[in-house]
Amino acid sequence: MTARDEILAHLRTELSRTDDLFRRAKIRHETPTVPSAVTEATGDRLALARQFGAKLEAIHGGFEIAQGPESVPTRVTQLVKRWNSDGDRVLSWAASELHVPDLTPRLEQAGISFYVPDDMHEEECRRSAAHLSVGITGVEAAFAGTGSIALLPGKGRSRAAALLTLYHIAVIPFSCIYPSIEAWMEVARKAGNLDDRVRRGSQLAFVTGPSKSADIELNLTLGVHGPKMVHAVIFDDG
Amino acid sequence: MPVDSSAPYRKRVAQALGDDGLRTALDRATGRLRSHRLAAMQDIDVERLREEVRAVREYSVSNLPDLLEQLEQNLTANGCVVHWARDAAEANEIVREIADEHNVQQVAKSKSMTTEEIGLNEALEHADIEVVETDLGEYIIQLAGEPPSHLTAPVIHKRVEDISKLFEQEFGIAPTTNPADLCAVARNQLRSKFLRADMGISGGNFAVAESGTVCIVTNEGNGRMVTSMPRVYVAIVGIEKVVPRLEDAILLWQAAARSATGQDVTVYFSMSSGPRGEGHPDGPEEMHVVLLDNGRSRLLERGYADALLCIRCGACVNECPVYREIGGHAYGRTAYSGPIGAVVTPLLSDDMTSAKELPFASSLCGACLDVCPAKIDLPRLLLDLRHDLVLLKSGTNAERLGMRLFASAAKRRFTFEWLTRLGRWATGLLSGRDGEVRRLPPPLSGWTKYRSFPKLAASGFRKLWAERKPGRESGRG
Repeated sequence: MTARDEILAHLRTELSRTDDLFRRAKIRHETPTVPSAVTEATGDRLALARQFGAKLEAIHGGFEIAQGPESVPTRVTQLVKRWNSDGDRVLSWAASELHVPDLTPRLEQAGISFYVPDDMHEEECRRSAAHLSVGITGVEAAFAGTGSIALLPGKGRSRAAALLTLYHIAVIPFSCIYPSIEAWMEVARKAGNLDDRVRRGSQLAFVTGPSKSADIELNLTLGVHGPKMVHAVIFDDG
Repeated sequence: MPVDSSAPYRKRVAQALGDDGLRTALDRATGRLRSHRLAAMQDIDVERLREEVRAVREYSVSNLPDLLEQLEQNLTANGCVVHWARDAAEANEIVREIADEHNVQQVAKSKSMTTEEIGLNEALEHADIEVVETDLGEYIIQLAGEPPSHLTAPVIHKRVEDISKLFEQEFGIAPTTNPADLCAVARNQLRSKFLRADMGISGGNFAVAESGTVCIVTNEGNGRMVTSMPRVYVAIVGIEKVVPRLEDAILLWQAAARSATGQDVTVYFSMSSGPRGEGHPDGPEEMHVVLLDNGRSRLLERGYADALLCIRCGACVNECPVYREIGGHAYGRTAYSGPIGAVVTPLLSDDMTSAKELPFASSLCGACLDVCPAKIDLPRLLLDLRHDLVLLKSGTNAERLGMRLFASAAKRRFTFEWLTRLGRWATGLLSGRDGEVRRLPPPLSGWTKYRSFPKLAASGFRKLWAERKPGRESGRG
């Protein structure tokens, strides 16, 4: 008998032996219940954007709300110039994934060059990405209740851009902001594509503020392995 | 002197109680964790959260075989390789074989109590594979050559001064009590390890059956690193970690974060469903998932399904007055300490009596039940375990003889009353003016080493009953 068959058979035998599986249980749950949202924001798109930003700030991130997509390149340029002490090169998602069509050309006009890795398993690619200080990404979704963003990897969307750098700039349109993670999942499930979205990217990641640790006597330290700053540039995409 | 977790139980406890530095570290850390948890529970409906967590976990454990098959099917469809391991040896061998196949020299590992449980690091090192722990706390204790002492805060037993001294020895840095400086040293050391590692290994906090997804909860980002940078990624997941749907994982993640550290959510929640897709710039080229039993199905057989509901948040550990005095290493060579550790350590063992002292390392105060997000009745489980261990004749001969004598006396009214009178006379002699007995003679002296108790009351229950119920005969009913 294989390990698989043995384990499953053992479980089935033991589970069929008793109806009183749990000491406290009054009922045996026959169907999975639908959990409710734990932390949820409310309001219109602007209100959700503000609540998202406030939540992110409370956990040592930063945010700003740009007037519209046309203001985003200027704001991002300022942030890159402020944080990039060792040159004007950034680790980024591809231009097509950044929600603002003219973001890349406008930044390039300002003297900032983009490194968009195509295969991080290649030594040369790793070397090029490893020393960059600023990463720029879009998002799959953002959540006002917790100040989290969802990142879904794909072609032109490296995980490294939000992971290897010390500073992470996330470009977020209003239309990507949801009251809570649960609300986003509900919309995706109703649309019949939640399962596909989770599987497609091979790793759906929720990121909530900068990398941190409290392992040393519970003292908060930022930027342990990932970015020490996550800054959201939010804009109204109409 | 640090606690030697392989020493006998009484020696471990004595070492822990004699270590003032340990007590200071535990006081500082558990105090903060408890207040953070309390604050995080203020603004939500805690009871609703706990009921929902309980419902998800009860459903999952009740339907384990079907959910595991669904999980396997979906992981395979996503391009993962699924392995099953009956025990630690099988799991370690599976990982070693994967490493061999890919000529792995260096492994970057995310914090995982499951891999601590099976001794994976030692097994890989035995095969000449370098294993680097990448969680800051785990990295520190790996340098110190110690096991973790807490489910979520593995280095809780060390003060910043201890860590500075360790880094001085290892890396030649100047002494510092600034955690940010120490953290920067670790970041620099570990970054190159991440980029060089041939294989990433993690546990799995939850596994979602409907999508074939392994979820990792971290704050530092090391979990995302080890699941993204190396070419090969292996997740070792206890079979009880499976949940039916994606929403369930999101619920448990939030419950775990609030209960463990008082955060709304942790910084990173990485949901890995397979190897990187066509044209993706990063992510593993292979993803393996090892589904581990190692005694979990035996928990059902032994009647302790409740213990499988645990989501490993560590809230019970932080609340436990015993843990807060003795720390994790006093629980022995186990990955799990505190109340949940005292339950699962003996139950996961082939021989329950190998950790027979642990269920007795509790005052049964119930604080653990009050904070458990899955509402596990840990005091009840501890009592049941004590009962089962007695039936397994795990006590000493003297204890067994004493219990037999007591049972025999309690069944005979005359003997019982005579012994009660004797006890009243003896405690009267031994008590002070305030009626407290502070010192008993050997072999009972252990009872009064750290506590006193009052002498037996002058009037027993039967006498009072007879006096206050004149209509009834003395001693009946």
